[in-house]
Amino acid sequence: MIEFIHPSLFYLLGGLLIPLLKGRIKQGYMLFLVLSAFLAVVNMPHGIFGVHQFLNWELTFGSVDKLSKVFAGIFALMGVIGVIFSFRVKNDGEHLAAFYYVGGSLGVTLAGDFLSLFIFWEIMAFSSVFLVWYRRIPSSIDAGFRYLLWHVVGGLILLAGIILQYSVSGDLTIQHLPFHGWWPTDIQSLAPFLILLGFIFNAAVPPFGAWLPDAYPAATVTGAVFMSAFTTKTAVYTLIRVSAGSEMLMILGVVMAIYGVVYAVLENDARRLLAYHIISQVGYMVAGVGLGTPLAINGVTAHAVCHILYKALLFMGTSSVLYVTGTAKLTELGGLYKTMPRTMIYTIIGGLSISAFPLFSGFVSKSMTVAAFGEEHLMWAFIALMLASAGTFLHTGLKVPYFIWFGKEQGIEAKEPPWNMELAMIIASLFCIGLGVFYKPLYALLPYPVHFEPYTAYHTWESLQILLFTQLGFFLLLKKLWCDNTLSLDTDWFPRKIAKGFMWFINKPLATIEYNYIGEIYEFIIQKPILRIAKVFQKIDTVAVDGSFSNLGKWVLSWSRKMQEAQTGQVQHYAMFMLAGVIAVIIIAMVLP
Amino acid sequence: MRLLEIVEVLRTRKVKQIAYGILLLLIIVDFVIPRHEVHFFGDKIPGFWSLFGFIACVVIIVASKWLGKHGLMKNEDYYDK
Repeated sequence: MIEFIHPSLFYLLGGLLIPLLKGRIKQGYMLFLVLSAFLAVVNMPHGIFGVHQFLNWELTFGSVDKLSKVFAGIFALMGVIGVIFSFRVKNDGEHLAAFYYVGGSLGVTLAGDFLSLFIFWEIMAFSSVFLVWYRRIPSSIDAGFRYLLWHVVGGLILLAGIILQYSVSGDLTIQHLPFHGWWPTDIQSLAPFLILLGFIFNAAVPPFGAWLPDAYPAATVTGAVFMSAFTTKTAVYTLIRVSAGSEMLMILGVVMAIYGVVYAVLENDARRLLAYHIISQVGYMVAGVGLGTPLAINGVTAHAVCHILYKALLFMGTSSVLYVTGTAKLTELGGLYKTMPRTMIYTIIGGLSISAFPLFSGFVSKSMTVAAFGEEHLMWAFIALMLASAGTFLHTGLKVPYFIWFGKEQGIEAKEPPWNMELAMIIASLFCIGLGVFYKPLYALLPYPVHFEPYTAYHTWESLQILLFTQLGFFLLLKKLWCDNTLSLDTDWFPRKIAKGFMWFINKPLATIEYNYIGEIYEFIIQKPILRIAKVFQKIDTVAVDGSFSNLGKWVLSWSRKMQEAQTGQVQHYAMFMLAGVIAVIIIAMVLP
Repeated sequence: MRLLEIVEVLRTRKVKQIAYGILLLLIIVDFVIPRHEVHFFGDKIPGFWSLFGFIACVVIIVASKWLGKHGLMKNEDYYDK
């Protein structure tokens, strides 16, 4: 019997057949793939597998220990939920993009060396951007390009760090490389710094996180559900692996937790509001990774598991509203409790989970992360994270459900979403409540032994007080919370404005100077003499060279006509071709013994 | 539909009064809850986290709205101009 089957193979290789199938067979096949991948993860033994020699390097595709197994497990489970949610999507491209995205994240999680990690890292970026583009509205196309640019920059920084690490140590194995301080002081600390920087691009740490609230709400109905789960949490995983204990992460994480909450107050689009709360929640995780104690790492891991489930549930709820009504803007919604009450219940379950309400999943994981700060007597971080908790409940638990399902009666025609969407929400809801009540099995999966009890009398009471008095504040200040149809400036203001200024510079002054002056000078000094010389060569050419090459020319011409058909001029298509080539190479490398 | 009826009942005035009762109960019980994990002074004061929750909520709303009004919030076509 084969000891280890790489779960990504089901997604990367198995996914290729999806476009060939139709209807129920296709749905059954997709379900078979994602369940097989999940079983493959559950049955993974600990150890090192899938080692391949590639040029001078040793690539390790399957490095399994407690940490990678729990992350791979939640990614595979989320794959199942996401695929059920997107059963009815007609566009095969969207299915493929989602499959490669999930397969990429599993590849990152199980990678044992930096090079294979980087390859899967890029597969994730280039496949997920299609989940944005397939929305097929102009604003999504633009947001997709911006998303890709951020990730290309982050990916290149990561690659630079990896190459530097290799040249310094001669070793590509993924290992613990914490970075201390804020700036690299010598060449030894530059590699850990660049690697950390590459990771925090994907973890959406400000000021490098503006791509997240830009792209996620622009994604397709089902695409956003997938995206909410994978990119930031794979980054958290790699941060635990490589950068745990880097103090700057602690401060950045706490800032991030508050930053997401502040922007959520101003946000009108429900899916963008939730996107800002991803930043806030990932802030808890990044801060915990920075602290780096066993309790903190356990808390971060547990929180990543719970977060993926409740965030997907919240995105499924609001995406269902978008699917049924065509909008996710709070100003255009209201009074849906009469027509979509079940979707409301699921979303509220997600809201209570993210807010860490007792008996819901967030309570058993967030409290562990926050308690790790209390244990180290870092009271400023403890209080700041408590403040962010109140803000989380305020928006996700109260504002989103209130303005969508109650609020202003808009008389929108709506109904519950199709059965598969509801089934996916039911599964996620059951996990959210199940993990909150039966938390011991989750704790058993964590990387370090757990001596933490979430349901102490005082801690439960403390949480209930914060949450219920936040609710009081919400209803008292309800008038202040009505939103406007606005846009909030984020750190992407800088690249976007600079790019605009650059384009203006090219189009206006530079083009004028070039056209009026440089062009003239060029013609007089260079163009005319060259033309004269060229005439001489032309004579030689027509007499001697042309005859022999005309046959070759015809052949090239016919070939280029064929190539021309493949050249659509759309960057999306080129990106897809390049990605397909890379993936083909990887699959060959993984399958070959 | 039954689910709808439950939601309608939850929207009545009586539920609101019960909710205020619960808030009061939260503070009262906090006087007798045993404390084994005292991290800082706030953990010793009964009702501290109730006050914290309420103030946190108000601070977040007021501060964010202030930031929004003073530069962060723009019209939706801000980048298209």
